[in-house]
Amino acid sequence: MKHLVQAAVVFLICLMGEALVGIFSLSFPSSVISMILLFLFLIFGLIKQHHIHGIIQFLQQNMAVFFIPSGVAIMENFDYLKNSLLPFLLICVISTIITFAATAYTVRFVTAVQQKQQNKRKGGEAQ
Amino acid sequence: MNVIQVLTSSPLFGVCLTILAYEVGCILNRKLKTPVANPLLIAVVLIIVLLKLLGVSFDTYNQGGSIITLFLAPATASLAVNIYAQLEQLKKRLLPVLAGALVGSVCSVGSILLLSHLFGLDESLTASLIPKSVTTPIAMSVSQQLGGIVPVTVAAVVVTGIVGAVFAPTFIRLFRVKDPVAAGLAIGVSSHALGTTKALEIGEVEGAMSGIAIGIAGLITVILAQFLA
Repeated sequence: MKHLVQAAVVFLICLMGEALVGIFSLSFPSSVISMILLFLFLIFGLIKQHHIHGIIQFLQQNMAVFFIPSGVAIMENFDYLKNSLLPFLLICVISTIITFAATAYTVRFVTAVQQKQQNKRKGGEAQ
Repeated sequence: MNVIQVLTSSPLFGVCLTILAYEVGCILNRKLKTPVANPLLIAVVLIIVLLKLLGVSFDTYNQGGSIITLFLAPATASLAVNIYAQLEQLKKRLLPVLAGALVGSVCSVGSILLLSHLFGLDESLTASLIPKSVTTPIAMSVSQQLGGIVPVTVAAVVVTGIVGAVFAPTFIRLFRVKDPVAAGLAIGVSSHALGTTKALEIGEVEGAMSGIAIGIAGLITVILAQFLA
């Protein structure tokens, strides 16, 4: 498919996401609704991965660029943040580390428990 | 009208500045070979300094900037493809993935509440920080709901994302995470789509799990916010 058409397909899905959020006044952002929509289209085979390969590559390779203007917006709030800049930054860093560790260790723990149960079941069957 | 006013009056100014600043960031990143020289971080600093020097307002820049931001939603949606490609992996590991996202999100909100209290931050700044680990659009609506200041939330989201994108490989080593599912999920839950850019570089499974985490952690945080509001 032409790159421009690929782009139109993905943008159209995002537009559908926005429409759903608007019509049903969901408190969930349209980008995540669009992600779910695209996922469903892929599962039901309405869209094949190769149909949109080019645009997906473009979007993902340049993802960081799309965040830049939101980052630049910080300049509008310098004055407000000036007084509590250090705690602001510290909280961002510390809580990110805590969240990372908590998530990774939970996955490890639950996986280990699952494996133990599976082994027990296998052991039971053997007897 | 002087030259600067003429140049900045077109949205193309913001578009070009954003792309070129990122390119400079990429070049510096390759030259300096340190993760702190993150291209996004360099681009943001470069643009702010340039705008201040030229006396150009954020709104003028954002005429073009908003065009770039427009691609953020399709980019987030595009992660569905990575999740689809890792469907088998997800089915096999559904319970650990859901449990990890839940515990991670609760720890994120909990640690922010605790730290804000310790640092003696006021309520509106605390509310602005609470949703900082989830993707920008979700964070914005949660912040609004809790009485936060939306631009401050966006700042916190970007700072958190940069921390994740820069230090994810360090965290993986530090906490000895060998399971790619755990690593990807941890990146996504702690630092949303920006961290996911790094996860995509690390590996296919990491990228997909990080993408899944954006959606699940976002959903959980929206629900948690209902209890705090």
